[in-house]
Amino acid sequence: MRAGWVRALWTTDHKQVARQYLWGGFGFLLLGGLLALLIRWQWAWPGQPVPGLAWALPESRGALTPPAYTVLFTLHGLVMIFFAVTPLLFGALGHFVLPLAIGARGFAFPRLSAAGFWAYAVGGALVLASFAVRLGPASAGWTSYPPLATPAFTPGVGQTLMTVAILCVGVSAFSYGLNFVVTVVRCRAPGMTWGRMPLVVWGLFYGAVLNVLFVPVLAAATLLLLLDRVAGTQFFIAGAAAVGGGGDPIVYQHLFWLFGHPEVYILILPAWGMVGDFVAYFSRKPAHGYRLTAGAMGAVTAMSGLVYAHHLFTSGLSPVLGRAFMVLTLLISLPAEVMFLNWLMTLWRGSVRLTSPMLGALATMIVFGLGGITGLVLGAVATDVPLHGTMWVVGHFHLTMGAASFLAVFAGLYFWFPKMYGRALHEGLAKAHVLSSAVLFVGVFGGQLAAGYAGQLRRLYDPYQYTYLKPLLPLNQWTTACAFLLGASQLLFVGNLVWTLWRGRAAEPNPWNVGTLEWTCAASPPAPDNFATVPVVLRGPHVLSQPDVQQQLGRDWMGQAEVAPLGGTE
Amino acid sequence: MGGVVGGEARVRPDLSPAPLILAESTPGPGPSPSEARDADPAHPTPVRSAPPANAVTQSVSEQASTGRAWRLAPPEGASTYGPQVDALLERSHVFEAGLAAVMLAWLVLAVWRFRGARPVVAANGGTRRSRAWVVGLAVCVFIGVDGTLFLGSERYAREVLWNLDVPAKDSRTVRLEINAHQWSWEARYAGEDGRFGTPDDVVTWNDLRVPVGVPVWVQVVSTDVVHGFSLPAFRVKLDAIPGRVNQTWFQAAREGTFEVACYQHCGTSHYRMRGLLTVLSEADYARWLREAGRLATQAYDADDAAAHWGWEWRAP
Ligand SMILES: [Cu+2]
Repeated sequence: MRAGWVRALWTTDHKQVARQYLWGGFGFLLLGGLLALLIRWQWAWPGQPVPGLAWALPESRGALTPPAYTVLFTLHGLVMIFFAVTPLLFGALGHFVLPLAIGARGFAFPRLSAAGFWAYAVGGALVLASFAVRLGPASAGWTSYPPLATPAFTPGVGQTLMTVAILCVGVSAFSYGLNFVVTVVRCRAPGMTWGRMPLVVWGLFYGAVLNVLFVPVLAAATLLLLLDRVAGTQFFIAGAAAVGGGGDPIVYQHLFWLFGHPEVYILILPAWGMVGDFVAYFSRKPAHGYRLTAGAMGAVTAMSGLVYAHHLFTSGLSPVLGRAFMVLTLLISLPAEVMFLNWLMTLWRGSVRLTSPMLGALATMIVFGLGGITGLVLGAVATDVPLHGTMWVVGHFHLTMGAASFLAVFAGLYFWFPKMYGRALHEGLAKAHVLSSAVLFVGVFGGQLAAGYAGQLRRLYDPYQYTYLKPLLPLNQWTTACAFLLGASQLLFVGNLVWTLWRGRAAEPNPWNVGTLEWTCAASPPAPDNFATVPVVLRGPHVLSQPDVQQQLGRDWMGQAEVAPLGGTE
Repeated sequence: MGGVVGGEARVRPDLSPAPLILAESTPGPGPSPSEARDADPAHPTPVRSAPPANAVTQSVSEQASTGRAWRLAPPEGASTYGPQVDALLERSHVFEAGLAAVMLAWLVLAVWRFRGARPVVAANGGTRRSRAWVVGLAVCVFIGVDGTLFLGSERYAREVLWNLDVPAKDSRTVRLEINAHQWSWEARYAGEDGRFGTPDDVVTWNDLRVPVGVPVWVQVVSTDVVHGFSLPAFRVKLDAIPGRVNQTWFQAAREGTFEVACYQHCGTSHYRMRGLLTVLSEADYARWLREAGRLATQAYDADDAAAHWGWEWRAP
């Protein structure tokens, strides 16, 4: 009995690990979302009691206090990035689809997958535990800049627990990064050349490379910070704050952003991959410039670590470095534009089907496009200065990392859910969810952009302490209204999920009529070792609407491993 | 050295939700804000028709009623060089709005026109020509949008942002040392002798005073955590980091009272790390500094170690 329990939890089947990550990620998504709504409440009705929160904050009768508020924005950022978005993209969708899409029976290191999930679970447990400790959870901001994050200024155990929790997710992210890279390099099915991988595999692969390269940098910074917290070292403590301290707080900032900027791409690369694939699938057309798109994603990956210091334009960076990082940051927009234009070209003259994954992909394109465009002014030194540290930055990165990543998660889930659980989600509900989310995301983060342009600084408990920000109250209230509607619209998803799992109809084997291996060579849900026989791949992932295929097979798609009656289409 | 002159005492934040206070700083010696209103015809304001910003409470109510917040505009400017960067921002926003519009239009048009259309044979990956179009178009957009932004930014950086020659070469330049604390701005003026670290140093809390039309050269440090020194009305932003001296400069275009804000999360009362910056006429500023220096010399206490944080002015 007990052994069975352990076996069920300690599964090395990548599909089961993926489902565990899925539920873990959604749990933390809910937590992070609720924290966000509380932050938004505070900006719309500063200091007013939050209905239903009196049990948590009895002294203030449910009103957010400054200490509670600092906890909110710190935890919101950390939970969303480390415990929701990355685990959903890589942990859930990545773990599920990567081996299937390249024709592997599993990951190169199946036990590493399981260990990675448990490292994540331990980290998550520490985060939850930190709510119960004296002096409350972490409150030094998601960046945890020292000296604020050292015990002299944030003495609570919560901050230490969070530091350990980040190390845990670091272990998890590094392990699946390594696993993904080795699996893609070594475990592809015969014939699955690099040029025949679906774009989502490319995205996951690049993201995994970034995890392997840069998560250790985060781990180093976090470990040194942990030593500063518990062992009395002074790596990041300087000046009057230290008794003879010889450390330097700015070293942490460089280490943190050397990870922190690539993390943006870690989150968005799998999303890009999905958009590239879905746009092709649902335009019934091969992806335009497949190699160009894969190459552009590679170029962004290669450059991602070279642009990090634009986060430090106002830190007293020397002009030489400032110029260098400005040029590099602006340069990275070139491959992104190539990729974007390829997506648009794929749509053009296609046969567009507005399924829920397609709507998700289009919505991802739009919000990512808006997010990318609003980031240009943050890449140039002069225009970054007035906008630095404002809600403009918040709106920009929420569009790219928040809205785009989440819409991609939903697009991916709507796409692969039939494969994952063997049941079909309700298309109408799914479409309504994607559409309402996309519109409201633009409302919320567009409002933040406007507030930031007008000068509203981020992370202010009460922005209206500043006279010049007082007129922004109506704008913030409007944005908050959008945020609450956005939260409410997620019920469309939850309802759909619950209803489908409870009594949804069985999914067809290949509901989207695409040719990739997971749909054409594996059962729904796939067997523990994925394929009855390992497929031999004959062609690329986007063989759609080819006349000879149509003629021979009477359908507009062809499986990647399907032997054609008369030759094959490359 | 240097007693605390003018302004309020250091902010003692309580941890309860603060009531909204309009103007919490009461100016010390020197002209009251209403006297200091921009009456000097020698300093016409280069900024768009802005209300006299020193009447803080008044301009706030005006702004609130005119619904200024709904217009996408940066905070009211008061800097000589701010309009340059504002114009650059505005120009790049026009470009970006254009890009966004084209992107959206193309996307919507493609979906609307080709929704369920009869599939057309498409070469795998497009044709050589169509790919050339993509690359060419991307390069054009890149050169146009990023290039404009780069050149404008580079010019502003060279001429203003990183050009400390301007304050260094101007004999009228006011030098200012700022020490950030949880949660207030402590400022130090050299006093009449022009040297920091002498008994006539003027020290203020959350109360900066500068003359109009003169370069102000600021060096910032922090005693505790990382803070962000920012003057939204002057487009100035610079980290205050323990253990290092950062520097920047600005020049006020008109008289008035503006806000000093902290933009780096620095603890529970980060949101109350607010100071006021008063721009005075050159004569009023000189009068204030002389009087404040006299009071400081009187109150000088050689044993007050905490007051001796100033440093010998060094320009790298
Ligand atoms: Cu501060």
